[in-house]
Amino acid sequence: MSDEPCVLIVEDNPRNLKLVRDVLDHVGYRTLEAGTAEEGLALARERQPEVILMDIQLPGMDGVEALTRLRAEPATAGIRVVAVTAMAMKQDRERFLAAGFDGYLEKPIDVRELPRQVAALMPGAET
Amino acid sequence: MLGRRPQDEDSATHMDPAAAAEPDTSTPEARAARLERDVADAIEQQAATSEVLQTIGRSAFELEPVFETVVRHAVRLCDADAGLMYRLDGDVYRLVTAVGGGEDYRRYLAEHPVAVGTGTLVGLVESGRRTVQIQDAESDPRYLWQEARELGGFHSIVGVPMLAADRVAGVIVLWRDEVDPFDERTIGLVMTFAAQGAIAIQNVELFQALQQRSAELARSVDELRALEEVSHAVSASLALDEEVLQTVVERAVELSGADGGSIFELDRPAGEFALRTCAGTSPTLAGELRRIRIPLGETFIGRAAADGRARQATDLEAEPSDAHLEALKADGWRSLIAVPLRREQESIGILVIRRRTTGRFEPQTVTLLETLASHSAVAIHNARVFRELEAKTQELEVASRHKSEFLASMSHELRTPLNAVIGFSDVLLERMFGELNPRQEEYVLDIRNSGRHLLDLINEILDLSRIEAGRMELELGAASLPDLLDQGVAMVRERALRHGIALGLTIAPGVGMVRADEVKLMQVVVNLLSNAVKFTPDGGSVDVRAEVSGTDVLVTVRDTGIGIPEEERERIFEAFQRGGRGARTSVEGTGLGLTLSRRILDLHGGRLWMESAVGEGSTFSFTVPQLAGATAAPRERETALAALPEPGQADTILVIEDDRRSAELLQLYLEDAGYRVAVARDGVDGLDLARRIAPTAVVLDVLLPRLNGWDVLARLKRDPDTAAIPVVVVSMLDERGAGFALGAAEYLVKPVHHEELLRAVTRCVAPPAGGRTVVAIDDDPVELDLVEAVLGPQGWSVIRALGGEEGVRVVARERPAVVLLDLLMPDVDGFEVVERLRADPRVADVPIVVLTSKDMTAADCERLRGRISVLARKGTFRQDQLADVVRRLGAGRAGQPEGAP
Repeated sequence: MSDEPCVLIVEDNPRNLKLVRDVLDHVGYRTLEAGTAEEGLALARERQPEVILMDIQLPGMDGVEALTRLRAEPATAGIRVVAVTAMAMKQDRERFLAAGFDGYLEKPIDVRELPRQVAALMPGAET
Repeated sequence: MLGRRPQDEDSATHMDPAAAAEPDTSTPEARAARLERDVADAIEQQAATSEVLQTIGRSAFELEPVFETVVRHAVRLCDADAGLMYRLDGDVYRLVTAVGGGEDYRRYLAEHPVAVGTGTLVGLVESGRRTVQIQDAESDPRYLWQEARELGGFHSIVGVPMLAADRVAGVIVLWRDEVDPFDERTIGLVMTFAAQGAIAIQNVELFQALQQRSAELARSVDELRALEEVSHAVSASLALDEEVLQTVVERAVELSGADGGSIFELDRPAGEFALRTCAGTSPTLAGELRRIRIPLGETFIGRAAADGRARQATDLEAEPSDAHLEALKADGWRSLIAVPLRREQESIGILVIRRRTTGRFEPQTVTLLETLASHSAVAIHNARVFRELEAKTQELEVASRHKSEFLASMSHELRTPLNAVIGFSDVLLERMFGELNPRQEEYVLDIRNSGRHLLDLINEILDLSRIEAGRMELELGAASLPDLLDQGVAMVRERALRHGIALGLTIAPGVGMVRADEVKLMQVVVNLLSNAVKFTPDGGSVDVRAEVSGTDVLVTVRDTGIGIPEEERERIFEAFQRGGRGARTSVEGTGLGLTLSRRILDLHGGRLWMESAVGEGSTFSFTVPQLAGATAAPRERETALAALPEPGQADTILVIEDDRRSAELLQLYLEDAGYRVAVARDGVDGLDLARRIAPTAVVLDVLLPRLNGWDVLARLKRDPDTAAIPVVVVSMLDERGAGFALGAAEYLVKPVHHEELLRAVTRCVAPPAGGRTVVAIDDDPVELDLVEAVLGPQGWSVIRALGGEEGVRVVARERPAVVLLDLLMPDVDGFEVVERLRADPRVADVPIVVLTSKDMTAADCERLRGRISVLARKGTFRQDQLADVVRRLGAGRAGQPEGAP
């Protein structure tokens, strides 16, 4: 694991992916990309990012199930995961947080909010 | 008349041989006296007959006068002592007239009608259906009615039947006190009267039957009128107001000859009947009736309603009492009939008709009331339903209007911000206000494309909503499916190339115009094609096929993508579902395409479906109806490609066309078919080349520089070196007549389809299937002689066919080079011959020359357009022209000198 904090972006829409990646790059984070939950899980195990930005509506396995799997494995259980979703219902925030997500971002993503949430989840930020 | 002896058995006289009295004819004086008497008798009888007939004529409807006259005359002329007439009444004979015989006798007879089959004279006459004479009733064992005989005091009696149709309608009886039998002549006379009497009876019976029928009819008409009035009232005001029911009850009362009535309607929740309306009822009673409760199953009428059947109370006093009946009785009503108004096994009302007298209602009346009742029940129900329907419709209309307005305003609202997004992005991209660095450009493009994507999505949603709301209207017209597919393929070609995906398009013969909204169908085509390309991995292929399937065109788009699993197959047609069709999830896709496509095809009267196997790819298929009537063109294509002969080495086609692209296209088509092609770009060069290379055929455009196509054509035909070369004229305009008149072998109108051109050229170039045979079809043998005279010497073998029917047969059999056809023929005419020949693939391509004296209307020409080669008028068309035309049409390969057999 390198020193630079690393963010894994799990997102199937390339344009959205690009937006998030470019913003995080700009802020200074290293980024990893995965287009499906499966890819994301593999990358998470392998590279152990600090934070995962997990799109919820993914083809095949969705973001919520991916979280369950991440939490089930010791290697990935401690990674902070932010739910990124386009479902804009009022209760969603509570629901996702209750499901175990560490953060919650609504699409369309607020590009100022994004780096803030990620920064807040980086180790050392709690202090 | 006198002495006439009827021959038929029915009226054969039955007499004792010795009964007739013999006249004395011994001396001339006696004979003379006899003759005198005969004449006198004859005159008297004439007078009698005349009077009888007059009586019949005068009183066609009353029989008594006739009977009386007949019997009176009969008695006198026959010299009888009394005469009677009996008439059949049911199964007995009654005395209707008596002359003489005495009061007592007559009364006795009147009181004792004669039954059939008895031993009375009448009985005997009836059973034998013929005249019976009994010389002496007192002693004859056959005669059994001795009381009558004793009262009357007669001895000789004769009875003559009055026959009407198949029965003895009556009997005339004459008797004499003494034993003095009636002679033949006399009996003959009575039989004449009997015949007249029978006619009279028949007349009257017919008349009575007629009257009865008329009465029935009048009654039916009345009933119908009443029903009609009711119907009218009901339909005029489908709201069930008092008026309608009022009409019903009033008509019912009238038609049943009653004094009053009421209609009650069921109040469903309360389970009771309430008064709706009444007729012939005092306001006091009406008030009472309104007050009274009539639960279903209680009170006389309530029970009738529960039963579901009409019920009569012939005397209200005799019925168990109830509030309703009491009220009626108090008001003077004595009898009633209650008819339930039934609707689907339930009584929804009661029609009550009442009288102020006791008694039954006749069965006919009951039937009528039941009819009226069922009619009213339907009316009540309909009115109710209609009201509900109206309310619903109103609601729906309001909702629909809201929905439309909503759609419209939503559409506007959603599009407005997008204007800004797309607009400003474009502005930036155009560098209108300054340069963009690569990163900026990239982002602005992303913005704009996302905006466009959103716009597409909005449009699709709106389309979908509109379809769902029943508001999408297709502009159905004629669309060329091959063109649509071409364009669709062109649109995805670039993307396919980028991914190394091979695109294939195969259009089967017969696929042509379809009935479609071109824009929407294109949407579908593009949707399917772009999906196919999108979901096929690099190096794969997308194959599009179109073929005719019944009355539709079937299009399939097959890709070699990863396929769609079973569970996804229907789901992908649902809105916004993007099935697991591969790793490359779409940036551009909206997830609506297939949903919309399916709906659009539904609206076209077609279908969209798919088949797929995981790992092997998917095939999306759709059908769209062909344009009716466009099948003529496609079929032509079919026959064309079927039998194209291989062009020989020497087959060169000269194309004279100034437009580069058109020329290239023509060249392409022809070379593709194996011909060698020479091209000239103007008329002068064209002529020149034609003379030099002597091509097999010439394809000639009309609009040419330097020398226009018509001139070229004319000159080609005038020059003996080139006259025999068939020329296919290709023009923007349809001036077929001029073309053929100048000698064109074929005439095509731009844009020219591949197959069309080849077919035309082939026809010019190929050896004539029929050698030197010509079939001439005409109903006039003289015309056929003429054709033979003209073409025979030219080396043609002319086969004659007299009339259309024979013509079709002969052509099918002979497969000639050319057909000469008259139009005006009885039975199968020329038009029909053309139809039938064109429908027969064996001879569909045989050129037809129509030679007619018919004044051709535009419609006539239209019927033949495109199906015959030449239309010529008999008389004005010269013989050498005919030979020319035939020669041209049946021309062989190039090089064959003109006129050679």
